[in-house]
Amino acid sequence: MSPLFSQLAVLGSSLTLIFALMLLWHRSVHAYTTAFMWQSVVLAAIAAVVAYFERETELYFVAAMFLLLKGWLIPRLLRRMEEPFGAEQELQPYVNTATSLLVCGLLVLFAYAVCRPVVALSRLPTRAGMPLALGLIFVSLFVIASRKKALTQVIGFLMLENGIALLAVLGTYGIPFVVEIGVFLDLLLGFMVMQLFIYRIRETFESIDVEQLGRLRH
Amino acid sequence: MIFLLLLFPPLLAAALAALVKPYRGWVGWITAALSFAPLGAALSICARVLEGEVLTSGAGEFLRADGLSALLALCIGFVAALAAWLGPGLAVDDGYDAAERRSYRVFSNLFAFTMLLAVTAHNVGVMWVAVEATTITSAMLIPLHITKASVEASWKYILIGSVGIALAFVGTVLAYFDFVNLAGEQPTALNWTSLLHSAPVLHDAVLKLAFVFILIGYGTKAGLAPMHTWLPDAHSESPSALSAMMSGVLLAVAIYAIVRWKIVVDAAVGPAFTNRLLIALSLLSLAIAAFSLIGQRNYKRMLAYSSIEHTGLTCLGLALGPLGIFAAMLHMVNHTVTKSMMFLLAGRVQQRYRSTEIAEATGLAGTMPVTAGFFAAGMFAIAGLPPFGLFISEFALVRAGFAAGRAWLMAAVLVLVVVAFTALVTHLNRMLYGTPPQSIFVGERERWALVPPALCLLILLILGLMLPEPFSRLLNKVVEIAAP
Amino acid sequence: MSRWSVEIFQVVFAVLVAPGLVGLIRWIKARLQSRLGAPVWQPYFELRKLFHKEAVVSTNASWLFRFAPYAVSASTLAIVFLVPVLVAPRGLDSVGDLFVVVYLLLLGTFWLALAGLDPGSAFGGMGSSREVTVAALAEPTTATAIFSLALGAGSTNLGAIVVATLNDPWTVLTPGHLLAFAALFIVAVAETGRLPVDNPSTHLELTMIHEAMILEYSGRYLALLEWAAWLKLFIFVSLLANLFFPWGIATTLTLSALSWAAIALLVKLLLLAIVIAVMETRVAKLRLFRVPELLTASFLLALLAITSSFLLR
Repeated sequence: MSPLFSQLAVLGSSLTLIFALMLLWHRSVHAYTTAFMWQSVVLAAIAAVVAYFERETELYFVAAMFLLLKGWLIPRLLRRMEEPFGAEQELQPYVNTATSLLVCGLLVLFAYAVCRPVVALSRLPTRAGMPLALGLIFVSLFVIASRKKALTQVIGFLMLENGIALLAVLGTYGIPFVVEIGVFLDLLLGFMVMQLFIYRIRETFESIDVEQLGRLRH
Repeated sequence: MIFLLLLFPPLLAAALAALVKPYRGWVGWITAALSFAPLGAALSICARVLEGEVLTSGAGEFLRADGLSALLALCIGFVAALAAWLGPGLAVDDGYDAAERRSYRVFSNLFAFTMLLAVTAHNVGVMWVAVEATTITSAMLIPLHITKASVEASWKYILIGSVGIALAFVGTVLAYFDFVNLAGEQPTALNWTSLLHSAPVLHDAVLKLAFVFILIGYGTKAGLAPMHTWLPDAHSESPSALSAMMSGVLLAVAIYAIVRWKIVVDAAVGPAFTNRLLIALSLLSLAIAAFSLIGQRNYKRMLAYSSIEHTGLTCLGLALGPLGIFAAMLHMVNHTVTKSMMFLLAGRVQQRYRSTEIAEATGLAGTMPVTAGFFAAGMFAIAGLPPFGLFISEFALVRAGFAAGRAWLMAAVLVLVVVAFTALVTHLNRMLYGTPPQSIFVGERERWALVPPALCLLILLILGLMLPEPFSRLLNKVVEIAAP
Repeated sequence: MSRWSVEIFQVVFAVLVAPGLVGLIRWIKARLQSRLGAPVWQPYFELRKLFHKEAVVSTNASWLFRFAPYAVSASTLAIVFLVPVLVAPRGLDSVGDLFVVVYLLLLGTFWLALAGLDPGSAFGGMGSSREVTVAALAEPTTATAIFSLALGAGSTNLGAIVVATLNDPWTVLTPGHLLAFAALFIVAVAETGRLPVDNPSTHLELTMIHEAMILEYSGRYLALLEWAAWLKLFIFVSLLANLFFPWGIATTLTLSALSWAAIALLVKLLLLAIVIAVMETRVAKLRLFRVPELLTASFLLALLAITSSFLLR
C-alpha cells in the first residue's frame, strides 16, 4: 500500500505545480481560472487520498471544503469576472515568459534545497511531495511579483494558499480543525475583499493594470 | 468571563452598526461607549496578571492571557477607545457621509476585535487567523473616501499584507510539522504553551526555517524593511482614526506575534539565531526610515516612516537580552500612545487644511494654537527628546545594547536616530511657522476633541518622568516570559 | 530466431510502417474535420510517385544539395538500430545509447539546414534558421528528459531503461516519469514539425519551417527526405510509447513474443496517432516567437523531471 500512497501523493503535488506553471505560459483570465480550478480539484483529491490511507476522517471534511470552496465557489466568482476583465490580457508582464519559466525552474530547485532538513526528518510516506508544495509557494510568489494585472495577482495569491494547504496536508495530515475553519473563512473573505478592490481599481483607473498604481512614492 | 467583556463589546458594536441602516448618530455614541468595556477588561486582566495569575478560558484553553497578552490588550483597548471617540461618526461635520460613517463603525470595531483575539488566542494557528483577519477588516477602511491614491494604497496593503501573512502561515505549518513528527497529532499541539513545553526537543533546522518564514510574514505586518512598502501608503491614505489604530497597535500586534514565536524558537535553538535576524532587519528598517524621513513632503507619510523607525527600534530591543526586551516593550507602549495621538492630531490638521502636504500646512502655530502645541510636543516625543517616555525607552535600549557588548551596533543606531531627529524637527519647523494659506479659519474648533490627545500627552509625561510601579511590574512579567 | 535477423526485421518494420503512421494521422485528422480524407496508404503512393519522377536541381546548388538527402536518411536510419522498437534490450545497445541518438538527430538536422541554405533561395535560408533555432532549444530537452529516466534505471541505454520500467511498473506514476513524458511529447511535436510548432500540411511562407527547407527538392531526393521525416516521427512516437508504456514489448526472441510486440506497438501507435490528430485539430499554430517559450516550458518540465528523479531516487 505504501508505495502506491506515496506515488499518488507525489503525483498529485507535481500536478498542482504544473497547474501553477500554466499561469506563466497562458495569458487569458479564462485559462488562469481553469488552471486554478483543476489545481484545487487535485488538492482536494490529495487530501482525500491521505484521508483514505491514513484513516483520518477529519481530512475528508477538509477535502470536501477544498472542493466546494476552491474547486467550485471561487472559480465561479472568477468566471463572473471574466466578462468585465477578460479583455485585459497579461500581454507584457514585468518578466517575459521564457525567463519566467527558467526562474521558476530555479525556484523549484531552491525549494528542494530548502526542504532538505524537513524531508530528512520525516517518516511520512507523503514527505516526497513537500518540496513540491514549497516550490508551488515560491512559484506563486513569483507570479504575484512579476505580473501586472490585479486579477492575475489574485489568482497567484489563491495558488499560494493552495500551496500552503498542500504543505499542511502532506506534512502534518492537516492542521487542527479550528484553525482550518478559520483559514477557510479568511481565504473566502480575503478573496471577496480583493474582488471588490479590483472592481474599484477598474472604476477609478479604468483598467486593472497595476502599473498605473504608481502615484504614491517616497 | 473577563474575556467575554474583552472580546464581545466590539462585536456587538459592529453588529449594531451593521444592522442600523442608514447610519444614525446614536449608533456612534453607543459604539463609542461600548469601546470602554474592552479597555476596562484589559485593565482588570492586567491587575489579575500582576497578582501572578495566568488567565485561561474556553475549551482546550482556547483563550489565554499572560503578562504579554495583558500589555497588548491594554494598548489595543486604549487606542480602540481613542479611535471610537475621535473617528468619523460622532462630530457633526467631519467630512464623511452616512454610508462612510456606518462602514467605519462596522469595520473599526471588527478590526479591534480581531486584534484583541490575536493577542489572547492561545493557539498560534488561531492567532494567525486573527492577524490575517486584521488585514481584511482594516483594508476595507482605507478607501473610505474613494480616490485614486486611497484605492492604490488599499490594493498594495491587502496584497502585500495577505501574501506576507501567508508566509507566516508556512512557518506555522513547518513548526507544527516538527511537533507532529515528534509527538503525534494532538488537538492542542498548536497551543503556545505546548509548543514552548516541547521546544527543547524540536529540531533546529526545521524551526530555524520556520522562524525565517514567520519573521518575514509577521515582519511584513510590523512594517520591517524590506517588506515595509505598503506601510507609508496605507498610513497616509487611510482616515486618521484608522491610521492611529494601524500605526499605534496593529504594528504592535505583529511584533507580539514575532515575540511569541521568538520565545519558542529560542527555547529550541538558543537566542543567537533569532537575535541575528532581528538585528539585521531592524537596522535596515532604521536606516531606510531615517533617510526616507529627510525628503518627506507629506506629514502623514512622515509619521508613517517614523513608525517604521520605531518598529525597527522595538525589534532591535528584542534582540538585546532581558534589558533590551524590557526597553523594547516600554518603547512599544510609548510609541502606541504617541503615534495614535499624532495621527489623530494630523487628522485635525488635515481636516482644516484639506491637504497632507507639509508645504501647504504651514503656520499651524497661528491657526490652531492648541493643536499645534500638542503636535509639536508629540513630534519632540517621537524624535526622542526628554521629558517624554520615548526618550527613556530609547535610552534604556541603547544602554541594553552597550551592556550586551554591541557598541558598534549602538553607534550606528544612534547616528540613524540623530538623522531621523534632524529630519523631523526640520519638518516640524516648516509646519509650525510660515504664513498660513489665505482664507483659512483661525482658532480651534470642537475643543472637546482635544481632551484625548491631552490625556495621551499626560501619559507620555508620566511614563517619561516616573515609571509607575505597577506598570514596571507588568513589564517585568513580560521580560520573565520572553527571556526566561 | 537469430539475433541478427530480429534486428534486421525491426528496422524493416520501422521503415515500412513509418509512412503508414503519417497516413493514419492524416486520415484521422480528416475524419475529425468531417472530410473524407485520403486513404491511410496514400504516403506509400506518394513515395512511389516521387521515386519515379525526375529530380530537378537548381544550377546554384552544390554537391551538398545532392548529398544531404542521403546523409539525412542514413542518420535517421541509424537511429532505428539503437531505439527499442519491438525488442528490448537491443543487440546494438553496446554501440550507442541515448546520447548517440540525440547526436544522430542533430546530425540529420545539421545536413537538412545546410541543404536549405545551399541553393540560395530566400525560403530555404529562412527555414534553416528557424529549424536551427528550434533544434538548439529542443535537443537539450530531449537529452534531459530521457536522462531523467536513465537516472531511475541506472543506465543510459534506451533498452535498459525500458526493461527497468517493465520490472517496476509503479515508476510510471512518479513525477519524474510524467514530467519527462510531457517534456518529450512537446519536443517530439517540435522536432517532427507538427502543430502547433510547424504545420506539415501548408506552404505558408510566413510560418513554415520544415517545408521551407525542402522546398527546392523534387523527385527521389524529396522522397528520401519525406521518408526520413516520417521515420523520425515514427521514432519519436515509438520512443514515447515504449519508454513510458513498455508493456507488450518483446524481451525474448521467440516468434510469438515478436508478433505480440508488433501488435502491441501497432495499438500504441494507433492511440498516440489519435492523440496527435486530436491535438492538431484542436490547437492553432503558435506565432513563431512564442515557439521558444513553448520549448523553454518543455525544458523546464524536463529539468523538474530530472530534479525529482535525482532527489527521489
